[in-house]
Amino acid sequence: MNIIEIGGLTKKFGDFAAVDNMSLTLKEGEIFGFLGANGAGKSTTISMIASLLRPTKGEIKFLGKNIAKHAHFAKMNIGIVPQDLAIYEDMTAFENVRFFAGLYGFRGSELKVRVEEALSFVGLGDKHKELPKNFSGGMKRRLNIACAIAHRPKLIIMDEPTVGIDPHSRNYILQSVKELNRMGCTILYTSHYMEEVEEICTRIAIVDHGKIIADGTKEQLKAIITDSKEIWIDVKSVEGLNQERLKEIRGVLSVRIEEQRIKIQSRAEIANLNDIVQQLIRDGMEIRAVEEQAPNLETVFLTLTGRNLRD
Amino acid sequence: MNTLHIAKKEIVSALRNKSTFLFMLAFPIALMLILGLALSNAFSGSIEIGDIKMAYKIDQASPALASGWESFAKAAEKNGVTIEALPSGEDGKQAVTEAQYAAFADVSDKGIAYYDNSRSTIESNILQGMLTSFADRYNLEAAFASAGASSRNGGSGQAPAQLVKSTSLTADSQPNSMDYYAVAMTTMIALYAAINASALIESERTRHTIVRLSAAPVSKAEIFAGKVLGSTVINAIFIVAVMLISHFAFGANWGDHPGHVLLVLITEVLMAVGFGLAVGMIFRSKASHSFLLIFIQIASFVGGAYFPVNDFGGFIGAVSYYSPLRWNNAGVIETVFGGDTAPALAAAGFNLAGAVVLLAVCTFLIRRRETI
Repeated sequence: MNIIEIGGLTKKFGDFAAVDNMSLTLKEGEIFGFLGANGAGKSTTISMIASLLRPTKGEIKFLGKNIAKHAHFAKMNIGIVPQDLAIYEDMTAFENVRFFAGLYGFRGSELKVRVEEALSFVGLGDKHKELPKNFSGGMKRRLNIACAIAHRPKLIIMDEPTVGIDPHSRNYILQSVKELNRMGCTILYTSHYMEEVEEICTRIAIVDHGKIIADGTKEQLKAIITDSKEIWIDVKSVEGLNQERLKEIRGVLSVRIEEQRIKIQSRAEIANLNDIVQQLIRDGMEIRAVEEQAPNLETVFLTLTGRNLRD
Repeated sequence: MNTLHIAKKEIVSALRNKSTFLFMLAFPIALMLILGLALSNAFSGSIEIGDIKMAYKIDQASPALASGWESFAKAAEKNGVTIEALPSGEDGKQAVTEAQYAAFADVSDKGIAYYDNSRSTIESNILQGMLTSFADRYNLEAAFASAGASSRNGGSGQAPAQLVKSTSLTADSQPNSMDYYAVAMTTMIALYAAINASALIESERTRHTIVRLSAAPVSKAEIFAGKVLGSTVINAIFIVAVMLISHFAFGANWGDHPGHVLLVLITEVLMAVGFGLAVGMIFRSKASHSFLLIFIQIASFVGGAYFPVNDFGGFIGAVSYYSPLRWNNAGVIETVFGGDTAPALAAAGFNLAGAVVLLAVCTFLIRRRETI
């Protein structure tokens, strides 16, 4: 069953369409990745699903019911983990979760049980009496999640839940997302980290300029890119590299530098490796390794949008 | 229920905020103490002055006037004022000029001609007041005597002088400096509720918790009502605490109608909360805090927080009528020291009307927004 159905969704701010005639469905039980660069329209779409913004046009259905007409039903069953920490620093972890869960109508022992459950789930059960101002960044992020799940929502929207935290906390959160999904929650997940999306999402949509430009499973998305390849060349130093000359080589689509690695996207059918290597030697590069990569999500994203996810 | 849930959270947060305690409790108490002690003389009902001497001369006065004047002179002597007949041949005006006397009165049936020395202002004012009082009383007695003669009816049979009795309307109910500043500081701190209120909605925005509040199944009206209720209750608690401390620690008099006084103060808090919210929603930045600080300071100054407003005249005096502190101070002081509850009810009515208008403005602004 579809948990979310979006049809012809548009949101305009003045003349600017942040979301432009978007249509999308999320199935119950999936972890749906929402990929897009800054300003692509992800957050606006999420805000409309969470009833924070009203669409200019189009509709959103939650479990078959129009959100605009059944806002209370939708809100009771949706939890949101905002990108920015949304917690009260002057209230303990327990009080934070209790306050937000209390807004969903829970009181007394039921409320207490749900709060304890949520805090234990994110690994803060033993820190429930502490103030968030004494927490690390990762612990605050986990509390941010606990505040969104105590009312046991069917759909959890997670907007960049791992921004700015250490690898240990990131891993904890990713495992938590998978566990929530195993428990029956549908997850709508946005991230700048492609590897996170590749690891946990069962289906992915790529958003650009307010439109969905591709969606499907990882394999389906990668299959879109049949006419390009990525060549990774490790060098001792990229100092002196002339990127413009590389881009002039026949078949080269784009050139990116990541520390000592040069990533070149090229048309698949053109054999231009020799030309690339010779140009690098002319630029004085000391080549250490050359590898041809099959398309990954990053390649797909770059090919479809023409920009990096972190742009 | 959600309204109470949100209100409870506001109260708990405020009680944990040390700076709120400092500002809402320590600040008014300290000011009350400093101003109450420093300006105690300005509110004192007595002043220490030396002996006052006045010379007089009676020319062509009726027996009644001469007798009345004699009684007046005796009564004045009991109050430390010496009234002496000017020795014959001396010039009264010259004697005053030479500072032998503070003033000279030339008494006759035509009236009292009064001469004073500009170097003895206080003494002269006292004497002038006494003479005016004497003249009023004499005229009243004369009018009684005349009415009695014309009716040929002895009336009560009392002499005219016994028929006239004057009573001071506020003899025993003037606020001393501590009483005054207890009221003034409490009404001022009630107005300061606007500063905390200005951040009620905007702080949720800066903390990003507005996202959670808006995503929860809670209406904008419930969030708004919870915020207003919580803020009003917590400020009312601080107001009551200030009242109790001023009463038990400094002996401030809060009168026999504490319910009416509280009604004025709580409605003032409600109005201040509405004002703060409206300003916060219009400015949507820290500028609202600065604006309110300036506004409240001006309103406090012209509204009588630091000096009684009766001292002001001209432009400032006219402006003072627009300060909420003026009508609230007047409402409380007249209720506490005049024993009349009508001024308190009038002030509370003004406050409630203001609160309704301001909260309506806030509601209008919220309805225009997509999220609260």
